[in-house]
Amino acid sequence: MPEKMIVCVAVVGHQNNPLYIQSFTEADDALKLHHIVHCSLDVVDERVNNPKKSGSPLNETFLGLLYPTENYKVYGYLTNTKVKFIVVTTDLDVRDADVRNFFRRFHAAYVDAVSNPFHVPGKKITSRTFAERVSTIVKSFGLSSAG
Amino acid sequence: MDPANTPLGRMLVEEITPVVMVLCTPLVEESCLKNSLSFVEMLSPFCSFNNIDVPVRTASDQPYRLQKFKLRLFYASDIRQPNLEVAKERLKQVITQAGEKDDLCSDPPHFSNLLASSESGIQPSWFEYFNKELVRTMSFSDHESFDHPVACLLVVSSKDEQPINRFVDLFNTNKLPSLLNDGAMDPKILKHYLLVHDNQDSTQEKAAKILTEMRSTFGSNECQLLCINSSPHGLVERPENPWAPYKCDPSPSQCLGCFLNIDDFNKIKDLMQDLSSKHIIPYMEQKIRVLNQQVSATRKGLRNQIKNLWWRKGKEDVADSPDGPMYTFSSIESQIRVLGDYAFMLRDYELALSNYRLISTDYKLDKAWKRYAGVQEMIGLAFFMLDQSRKEAEYCMENAFSTYLKIGPSGQQNATRCGLWWVEMLKTRDQYTDAASVYFRICGEEPLHSAVMLEQASYCYLLSKPPMLRKFGFHLVLSGDRYKKCDQIKHAIRTYRSAVSVFEGITWGHINDHVHFHIGQWYGILGMYDLAVKHMLEVLACSHQSKITQEFFLRDFLQIVQKTGKTFEVLKLQLPKVNISSLKVVFDDHRTYASPAAATVGESLWHSLEEDMIPSLSTAKTNWLDLQSKLIPKKYRESNVCVAGEAVKVDIEFKNPLQIPISISSVSLICELSVRSDEMESALASGANSFLIVGADASSKTAELQNDDDFINLTTNRDMSSENSSFTSSEVDFSLGGGETTVVQLTVTPKVEGILQIVGVRWKLSDSVIGLHNFDSNHMKKKNTKGKRKAKPAPRDNLKFIVIKGLPKLEGFIHSLPEKAYAGDIRHLVLELRNQSEFTVQNLKMKISDPRFLNIGDQENLKTEFPSCLEKKKASEQSGVHGSSNNLSQTVFLFPKDTSIQGKTPLLWPLWLRAAVPGYISLYITVYYEMGDISSIIKYRTLRMHYDLQVLPSLDISFQISPCPSRLQEFLVRMDVVNSTSSESFQVHQLSSVGHQWEISLLQHVDTIFPSQSLMAGQALSCFFMLKSCRKSLTSQDEISTLSPLLGSDVRLGPEGSNEPLFDICSSPLADFHHCERLHLGMSHQGDPNTVDFILITRPVKDNIIPGVSNPPHLFSHHACYCSTSSTSPISWQVDGPHTLYHDFSASFYEINLRMIIYNSADAVASVRINTFDSTNSSGHLSEGTTTVSTDPSGDQAGWRDASVVNDIKVTSDVGGSRAGKSLSVESVPPFIWSGTSSTRIQLEPMSTSEIPLQICVFSPGIYDLSNYVLHWKVVSSNDPGNQEGASRSSGTCQGYPYYLSVLQSS
Repeated sequence: MPEKMIVCVAVVGHQNNPLYIQSFTEADDALKLHHIVHCSLDVVDERVNNPKKSGSPLNETFLGLLYPTENYKVYGYLTNTKVKFIVVTTDLDVRDADVRNFFRRFHAAYVDAVSNPFHVPGKKITSRTFAERVSTIVKSFGLSSAG
Repeated sequence: MDPANTPLGRMLVEEITPVVMVLCTPLVEESCLKNSLSFVEMLSPFCSFNNIDVPVRTASDQPYRLQKFKLRLFYASDIRQPNLEVAKERLKQVITQAGEKDDLCSDPPHFSNLLASSESGIQPSWFEYFNKELVRTMSFSDHESFDHPVACLLVVSSKDEQPINRFVDLFNTNKLPSLLNDGAMDPKILKHYLLVHDNQDSTQEKAAKILTEMRSTFGSNECQLLCINSSPHGLVERPENPWAPYKCDPSPSQCLGCFLNIDDFNKIKDLMQDLSSKHIIPYMEQKIRVLNQQVSATRKGLRNQIKNLWWRKGKEDVADSPDGPMYTFSSIESQIRVLGDYAFMLRDYELALSNYRLISTDYKLDKAWKRYAGVQEMIGLAFFMLDQSRKEAEYCMENAFSTYLKIGPSGQQNATRCGLWWVEMLKTRDQYTDAASVYFRICGEEPLHSAVMLEQASYCYLLSKPPMLRKFGFHLVLSGDRYKKCDQIKHAIRTYRSAVSVFEGITWGHINDHVHFHIGQWYGILGMYDLAVKHMLEVLACSHQSKITQEFFLRDFLQIVQKTGKTFEVLKLQLPKVNISSLKVVFDDHRTYASPAAATVGESLWHSLEEDMIPSLSTAKTNWLDLQSKLIPKKYRESNVCVAGEAVKVDIEFKNPLQIPISISSVSLICELSVRSDEMESALASGANSFLIVGADASSKTAELQNDDDFINLTTNRDMSSENSSFTSSEVDFSLGGGETTVVQLTVTPKVEGILQIVGVRWKLSDSVIGLHNFDSNHMKKKNTKGKRKAKPAPRDNLKFIVIKGLPKLEGFIHSLPEKAYAGDIRHLVLELRNQSEFTVQNLKMKISDPRFLNIGDQENLKTEFPSCLEKKKASEQSGVHGSSNNLSQTVFLFPKDTSIQGKTPLLWPLWLRAAVPGYISLYITVYYEMGDISSIIKYRTLRMHYDLQVLPSLDISFQISPCPSRLQEFLVRMDVVNSTSSESFQVHQLSSVGHQWEISLLQHVDTIFPSQSLMAGQALSCFFMLKSCRKSLTSQDEISTLSPLLGSDVRLGPEGSNEPLFDICSSPLADFHHCERLHLGMSHQGDPNTVDFILITRPVKDNIIPGVSNPPHLFSHHACYCSTSSTSPISWQVDGPHTLYHDFSASFYEINLRMIIYNSADAVASVRINTFDSTNSSGHLSEGTTTVSTDPSGDQAGWRDASVVNDIKVTSDVGGSRAGKSLSVESVPPFIWSGTSSTRIQLEPMSTSEIPLQICVFSPGIYDLSNYVLHWKVVSSNDPGNQEGASRSSGTCQGYPYYLSVLQSS
């Protein structure tokens, strides 16, 4: 496994239902990543509901580091429509700016995907274009932070 | 909140207490064992004092009082660090025992219930016990001194030989714990001597003697006598046995302390109280004071501190071993630690804290990490107990924790203990999230411990505010996995099941499936297959999983089911999915269906078709307040009626959600048939009429809940397998590939009268699991409201049927009805009606939805040969055929009165089919019949037949009719025929005009029109005919009567010389279909005499008929109706006169007399004005006149071709008009003048002709065009004078026709 890598990205709807979850590892650890993403929703909820506790007031979409596990770092992002983006990365010293940048591009891809008139809001995103775009963004994540 | 009352506080007060080392002889144990207790166990209940109230004075001069106190008694042999393996085994046992207690069958509490319950109720209670045990495995470490014995209790029995010597021997160093021997603690400890006397052995005198001896030897204060077993009977009843909680092994509790009577009891109590308050506490006080003085002397003060620091610096080369340097009891470090611990145990936390702090830096400098961590730990606890500086307390705990971990595996255990205390500290302060993360950190490599820790962590997440449910679930799952690794399956199941409540109802399929699947698997391992199956069922319909996973799930599931050795009946089995909205019930009550296709047709369609046939309902229902609701039980008004012996069919859709194929077998309906009792019968019979209403009137249906308790008299038969069951239901087997959907038709046939309820459907998955699906009435209701599209879906969807006595049922079939036909095809068909029962049916009626396509023939022509029966015959024979045209006038066909069908003889009836227009045509036929047996509830039934027919386009025909300008009442007919088929060739046989007033004739020779004698595919052709109106009368007559009888004139278009007979267009099917075509085009043309109908009859070219295949003779008829003969104006005229004249102009000018015959073809009076003008310069006038022509807009555009024909006529006439005008203006016409009146006006009756004389004067020989006249006409509608719209009142101007007159000079 490369040193800096996003292992999982997820889009979670405003009722905490998974809209899109994709892991980028060879190993069969989808379940683990599902669990990690699912758990991190607790932290998102906590951040959103108790902004005081988490320190910085929640006036931006980027939620920052949600929780560090042994091998992963989980970052979150909350759109205006209460859709959450979760990224699980193995990069343990990733820069916030990189993650922000990643989320911005990811958000754009998401907006394009749900703007498709054939997309049913609240249903899983099945667009192949979206998947391809996300995988491009994910691949470029390591590169941009390296450069 | 008092820290001592918190869980951690209580724990510390209980656990960090003085240890008393017990040394006793075997005889003491022997005496105690009579009570099934060891000596320590016997004393244990009296070691904790809740209300001791002892004054304590430690370092400060201010005394304080201790209320609670506790001693810990241990045998000397137990005072050592427990063996790790033994400890592990012990912990494992604790967990296993806890697991055994779990009730795995009952549902675990839902997390919301957990949240509502009190905090202590949330966690399983054994956690506390486990934690305590875990902490105890770390006791008697040499790096801390609160586990070091404070006192030693030497016990000798009165039976012992030389008791004094025994006392001395007991405190023999080689039996003492290593702590005392290796110098870790002061061997000079407080000793207490106890003589135990068993009252059952002898009297107390001997014991008293020994006691005095002891007192003289060891000092009077330190010696005591304890008499036990005073009860001789051995049965001392106590309401609560104080020893029970201290006894681990499960032995009958009534034996515990059975020889100890109340005196013994009090004695033991006094002894322990005495020991603690008079000996141990004072001893500790004293020791604290002594140590404090020493510490103050050596370590307090600036000088000592500097000295100490300098001294420590000097020892920098100390090896960095984890334990640090060895400190003996006499070293100042150990003494400080002991001082701190003693102070802690006596609750002087301030003193303890200051000493711990003092020693902490020393240990740190010495790099004695374990001791340092231990001290840090105690600092944290002291802070906690003082309820001071929470931050610092936490910091110390963390520091201790990480320091323990730093020293490697040996510190892991201590770290765990430290962590547990830390967690408790955090919990006390409601920092549950932090506590959870500490629990998470405690998890070491030992999977069993970490499982317990993770489970505790999960409860912390649940307790945090707000609860973090997802983390709760996640940690439960993690914990469950670890339990499973240690073969603690019951615990694993418990944790997973707790997690289920978190994950249920969420859309995270992978997680849900994982949890359920593993619970199922584990139950399977435990042999609890029922529960295993229950959980496995949850994951079966995992369409989101990969194919491999699906296969895996299904295989495991089937394995477990097989292991159970029985067939499961599973309600709402997800495999395959039953699409309840696809449920469709087809049954025959008074409506019967010939084919399944007929049943799918909307009820409203049939209803409208049958309206005229079925007896009116209003006779049965006198008014809306009718008392029928009383005649028939309310319950049954909702039900449908079906007939015994006739199958009720249910169509239902099954879908396989998986990607792997599944096999389904024995799909059948679950039904209940309640056999009706006699009472019910009478009720039903009286309400017989109401059933019909039920069947036909859906709007009266109310959504009342049905209550089955109302009818006790009903005996329910639910037995499906038995042969003598009251109904039979069909079974279907099929297999579904990945993602496939199948509609299955299931039938149930009731055999006896009663009430049939279709409850649901059952099937067998892979021959092992039976799935059931109930057709919930809620579902049905939902569907009804959703699908109001159909007029009456309600009676269909109700799955309750009243089964009535067997009735005759007609089966209908149309023989040789093609699925495909070319437009115009006429076929002779036979309708066959069969009645299988022995009862007769009578009074048959039939109605056909579209008579354009299907006509009912006469019974006589059942056997006739087609198409020869249509051929023209002699006049004498024709009369019989014409009779059938009566059929047309009535929409319902009545079979002859004497028609009845019974038994095996079918009724055959001819039908005529004509494919009228191209497209997909649905034909609906309904046959009404009444029962011969009047006693039945249902008086009549209808047989509904439905056929689909695809009609392909064949020939497109259009007619253009233009009047002959030169002749009155004669028309030129142009017929355009296009063969629009792709392969068929047609042979044109004949063209007939309909109606006696028209005569059609050929203009050209037939061979010139059809050189090849047939129309090939795609060929287009035009040919011309002459049509002559042979209307005799000049006055209007009864034109409507011309329709019948149909007469006409025919033109044979076949090859020259063929003697194939012409077909009689007046014969039954042709005339009937023609009539239908006319009806279809509309009634407005009924009386218009200016239209003509044509029938073109063609036959397929003979070559196309493949020999060998029985091909019925074909005949195609193409009908063109209402072809308009009227041109731009209703007025037609003809100038009649000589064309060539000789005159001697030398004599005079020549007066020529002409006459103009004007015909009014309109059905109203027309006023015509004829203007003649001589000069040619009025041509502009003329052209203007032609353009203002207006025709009746409601015109004659009936067919698709007709419309264009009208336009064509207009255009050509326009062109002609303008050309005429032009020619007039350009050519220099030799002058002639109209003589006589230049303007004449006449009134023309409808359909009449009139003659006007005209006269011209010619002055020189030449050729004259007498077209310079204009007809102004105006039609005044006579039918409706009030109607002033343009349609009824039209006018126009016509320019004269060229009429060339040659006048020659006569010689």
